[in-house]
Amino acid sequence: MDEHLAIKFVGFLVRAVALYALSLVLLSANGKAQSAEPSMVAIAFPATSEEAVARASLRAIFGMLLQKWPGDTPVKVFVLRDDAPDHATFSKTVLQVFPHQLRMAWDRQVFSGQGQYPEQVGSAQEMLARVATTPGAIGYVKASEVTQNVRVLKVR
Amino acid sequence: MYVFSRFASLLPRIALLAGSFISALSASAADLAGGDLKVHGFISQGLVHTTDNNFLGQSDDQISRDFREIGINASWRLVPDIQLSAELLSHRAGGTDDGSVRVDYGLVDWNAFSSENGRAGLRVGRLKTAYGLYNKTRDVTFTRPSIILPQSIYFERTRNLTVSADGAELYAERYGEAGSLTASFALGKPKTKTEAAKVALFLSSPPGELEPRLAPDLQLLYEGAGNRYRLAFTALQLDLSYRPGAADRLRAGRFRLTPLIFSGQYNAERWSLTGEYAIRRTSVSNFGPYFPDSHAVGQSYYLQASYQFAPQWEVLLRYDAFYADMRDRSGKAFAAATRQPAFSRFARDWTAGIRFDVTPEFMLRAEYHHVTGTGFLAAQDNPDVRALRRQWDMLMLLASFRF
Repeated sequence: MDEHLAIKFVGFLVRAVALYALSLVLLSANGKAQSAEPSMVAIAFPATSEEAVARASLRAIFGMLLQKWPGDTPVKVFVLRDDAPDHATFSKTVLQVFPHQLRMAWDRQVFSGQGQYPEQVGSAQEMLARVATTPGAIGYVKASEVTQNVRVLKVR
Repeated sequence: MYVFSRFASLLPRIALLAGSFISALSASAADLAGGDLKVHGFISQGLVHTTDNNFLGQSDDQISRDFREIGINASWRLVPDIQLSAELLSHRAGGTDDGSVRVDYGLVDWNAFSSENGRAGLRVGRLKTAYGLYNKTRDVTFTRPSIILPQSIYFERTRNLTVSADGAELYAERYGEAGSLTASFALGKPKTKTEAAKVALFLSSPPGELEPRLAPDLQLLYEGAGNRYRLAFTALQLDLSYRPGAADRLRAGRFRLTPLIFSGQYNAERWSLTGEYAIRRTSVSNFGPYFPDSHAVGQSYYLQASYQFAPQWEVLLRYDAFYADMRDRSGKAFAAATRQPAFSRFARDWTAGIRFDVTPEFMLRAEYHHVTGTGFLAAQDNPDVRALRRQWDMLMLLASFRF
């Protein structure tokens, strides 16, 4: 009997929290991306044939769907950790995809045998070094961090 | 057709062999393949307690630990156009699944065509069945919105029919400014030669075998505005013939199940709304007097809201409804004809849940269900129909780790 009461109490608590959350959801407006963040750019291996990429194609590349550049070179995608501020900014402002949605899309592919995760690097320095030396590589850095050794990809 | 299906049934084994060969070579292969061999896995353990009825083991007034999912997968991108992947899965779920290790999928994915606007290709082997928004990764708790998927559509009881199939799938994707469109069409044989599949359909375990025909599975998926909108339509047809066993009371009958699913999801930065509606045509014919012919149209739907109220915390609220027969939603006609409880023909489940991502790899969840009806409960866990109760509550806890 005590056990039932405990279950009902926990149930009540869970439901109360959920209802509170739902009411917050309904009251809060749709969060829009802020523009005070540093501007991010997509970068590629310097010998890449492309100078500009359509946003939809860029999404498909970072979504781990498109595997090849037009010249048949395999694409190699580099990203920072999910919780890195630059990753969130790049996802939201350049790809215009919430980082959480990008992660969900990768998970859906990896755990159904349809795709692989991108390669994760620890810092902007490592990102620049890997993209500069890996044929077919694509990644991102702050516009202010771009070096001579990588090519900036414009978004069409 | 016969030759093709023989071929199709061999392919997963080939893919699996290739997969195990790759894993055996593991470290050196990773170097050889330029780091394109990837291994991932997950392990989840759930605890289930119900006030009445049993779900995922003996949970009525006790705690069932018989809900466990362990998977390990490997994928190897040979060249940009070809990927080999396989996953081994142990899924323990009360009386319906003992957790024996199976090949969940084992496939070759050939991306035959690719341009900056889209791609198309073919997958061959044992493939995850496209079925609603969640089925392809249904056993990976990190990809689920809750501890259990909405049972009205993703039955735990009949998972064998939709979990994966041996065959081939054509896919095409188009990436445009207005969003991306994915179409897939598969022909495959689901795994039906198991006790669980038989009990799910017959509610008993007759001595014969269920022989599946190649099942067509079509899915169209539109994802707009960077996955803010996701809309899908799925149509699947399962056609199973029964081969009676020795001294079988049943004749060589046939099951046909045709689910159609309409799915919609809206994702904001911190909250999501998801709904799916399924209409399921089922027909049972020619089994003889001990399992009479029947034709019913079942209906399922749920509406779910989730909200991330702090960086590692998410809450969920869902209403999920299942009706075995749209023309007899209350089950009264069924009860009058069979003397079985009317409430075994529907289930309405209010769910509230909370998720805590301790780290990106380690997750804890708790979930509370208030259910009216027993429509999605498994006969294996509830052998005595008279012990079933119409109203029941359930508390679930789950810990999950992945790498």
